[in-house]
Amino acid sequence: MKRPVAVVGVGQTHHGARRADLSIPGLIREAVDRALTDAGLTHDDIDAIVIGKAPDMLEGVCQPEQFLVGAMGGYMKPVLRVHTAGSVGASTAIAAMTHVASGLYDRVLTIAFEKQSEGNAMWALSPNMPFTPPLVAGAGGFFAPYCRAYIAKTSCPPHIGPMTAANARDNATRNEYAHLRDPMSVEDVMNSPVLWDPIRYLETCPSSDGAVALVLAAGDLAKQGPRKPAWIRGAASYAEAMWVPGRDQVSPRAGQVCAKHVYDQAGITDPWNQIQTAEIYVPFAWFEAMWLENLGFRDVGEGWKAIDRGEQKMGAHLPINPSGGVLCTNPIGASGMLRLGEAALQVMGRAGAHQVDGVENALGHAYGGGAQYFAMWVVSTEAP
Amino acid sequence: MSALRNVALVGFAQGPIVARDRHRMSTEMLYPVVREALAQVGATRDDIAYQVSASTDYMDGRPFGFVAALDVMGSWPPRQDLHLEMDGSFAAYYAWLKIQAGEADSAIVCGHGKTSEGEPERILNLALDPYYQAPIGLGPTATSALQASAYMARTGATDADLAAVAARSRAAGAKNPDTQVREAAAATALQRTDWAVEPLRTGYLPPIGESATCLVIAAEGKAEKLCERPVWIQGVDHRSEMQSLGARDLSRSAGAKLAGEKALAMADVGAAKDVDLVELMATTPVEELILCEALGLDATAKKPVVNPSGGPLCGHPIMSTGLVRLGEVFRQLTGTAGERGVAGARRALAHASMGHCLQQNIVWVLGAQRRWS
Repeated sequence: MKRPVAVVGVGQTHHGARRADLSIPGLIREAVDRALTDAGLTHDDIDAIVIGKAPDMLEGVCQPEQFLVGAMGGYMKPVLRVHTAGSVGASTAIAAMTHVASGLYDRVLTIAFEKQSEGNAMWALSPNMPFTPPLVAGAGGFFAPYCRAYIAKTSCPPHIGPMTAANARDNATRNEYAHLRDPMSVEDVMNSPVLWDPIRYLETCPSSDGAVALVLAAGDLAKQGPRKPAWIRGAASYAEAMWVPGRDQVSPRAGQVCAKHVYDQAGITDPWNQIQTAEIYVPFAWFEAMWLENLGFRDVGEGWKAIDRGEQKMGAHLPINPSGGVLCTNPIGASGMLRLGEAALQVMGRAGAHQVDGVENALGHAYGGGAQYFAMWVVSTEAP
Repeated sequence: MSALRNVALVGFAQGPIVARDRHRMSTEMLYPVVREALAQVGATRDDIAYQVSASTDYMDGRPFGFVAALDVMGSWPPRQDLHLEMDGSFAAYYAWLKIQAGEADSAIVCGHGKTSEGEPERILNLALDPYYQAPIGLGPTATSALQASAYMARTGATDADLAAVAARSRAAGAKNPDTQVREAAAATALQRTDWAVEPLRTGYLPPIGESATCLVIAAEGKAEKLCERPVWIQGVDHRSEMQSLGARDLSRSAGAKLAGEKALAMADVGAAKDVDLVELMATTPVEELILCEALGLDATAKKPVVNPSGGPLCGHPIMSTGLVRLGEVFRQLTGTAGERGVAGARRALAHASMGHCLQQNIVWVLGAQRRWS
């Protein structure tokens, strides 16, 4: 990076199954206003805007960034629109970071959203494509075999998914912005119906309406803000081809490479001990164990054991998803940026009731496509 | 602003623009152009640091249309990557930023879209706001007609003026083997074509086509190794206006004007008319007239030549149309534009837009010379 970049403002909407009180631009504006207020800035201070969301078909508006220019405050500004499937929120924020790092823009607003109640995600994600067997099963149907493969590969016992889901819900009870905030027990999860073997109903993410916005600023300007900034110490987005012989969908190489690149930038050689909390993209409970291994926190086959020992809980060794994560709030296009924004709040010490003590470094992570797209950053209390 | 790096276009490949490629899927259209662009620069995919693709889901008729493109862009081992739901020209802009940030020294930029999978007129209706504008059925032809009416009312331009612009494009396109419509047409003949939506005639509309494109860009130091005559990016800027058709003066392009001023200033070029040729993503004659006004150009002057390729009125492969403008400038300034070549061209301007009625505009200034020393 040519110059240091920090998160200086974070704003998110309250999330829910249906924000009937807001139009799509209203949803955007709620997040944008909160992020600007948080940063102590106005629209006039913003040099460029980078917006991301998942498939346009989720709301039925093609290239909606164009109709949202007013709501974003983008009039006569440079506006770019990112789409990298489920990882989009994270790769959008990283694209915004590149804007600042390039030296061309001092302060950039980045936004991600999804208003899933405007459409039908299951339909939108299940088209009939040529030369491809129709799946008509949404993301759960696509990822269930990956979870089964993980279980087969590591002998992960059947209670790990339910433990993960119950813990996420427990975390979300302390996050005022989360969509699902009712606690549930491991037994509740075990007793919920199987949707796509091995994924049970209560091991899946909800469909949410929500938006998140971040303000990123160059080094010197970041220091002048009202808040302690969250310094971006490493960030990258990687993707890999789908049809590669021997490709490991359980622990995709793009995720490993991306994590290594980010850790190298941040000077992290031992993520398990140098990172104090991580917001990782877990849309189906089994992915938490999978990503603990893919991200290098635990060795292959050891991810589920850390969960079994409760080392990912609040107050334990490495709290994962203290916000409740994607399992409790999933406005798809925004989910990745929520992970990065929550990581930033943790190092700023401003995560409220779900704050983890003593966070110096935090990881924000997202993935998308057929577990092909990865985007992540490490934020820190210390400037690079 | 801190010092900028010199970055150049070093290779460009474009598939044939056709109304419908009946034999190939989107990825099959993209694969050969990626291979051709890499072959041009004598590099393997491993030699290129970054990749950005540009497409839009709705045009392919499915979500995540860009995911399949990963396979044919050579994404193994895993690559640093981004996808923009925008024309390829904007993807090239992001690749340029990535190089400016020092995060890459080179990139491939791909544009693709299989317009024949759906009905672009109806798909682009969905790009209007879903509360007020989309439900009344406006598509790009109708919004362009509103824009044409506004422009003609303000300036007094006539049907014959529009026909003259279209005829000039068609005459230029007749010399371009890479475009879709390659037959000259007299202005008087175009004036006899039916109304599409008055005051636009069918002869003034672009042929919607499909193609795939791949541009290679690289930073100074690497660019010269990949290309004998790199085409240097001297200035670039992009701006967005409001979408609402009632909230802006449709007869003008304030965004193109500001982007042009910023890009020219970055390039240290006094005025757009000082370049040798201009490639505009003008999808109607009126867009061309509005863009020329915004950029301070006289389209009938000898210099700069406007759209020597024939422009989008001879070929409009949506999601690549803007990237083709960059590709055309690359061919012109490397002396590989064949019969449509502008003799002695050293500096040029390339433009692209997104959205209805020139809502979002990007302007590039490119030259045979490096900008920064």
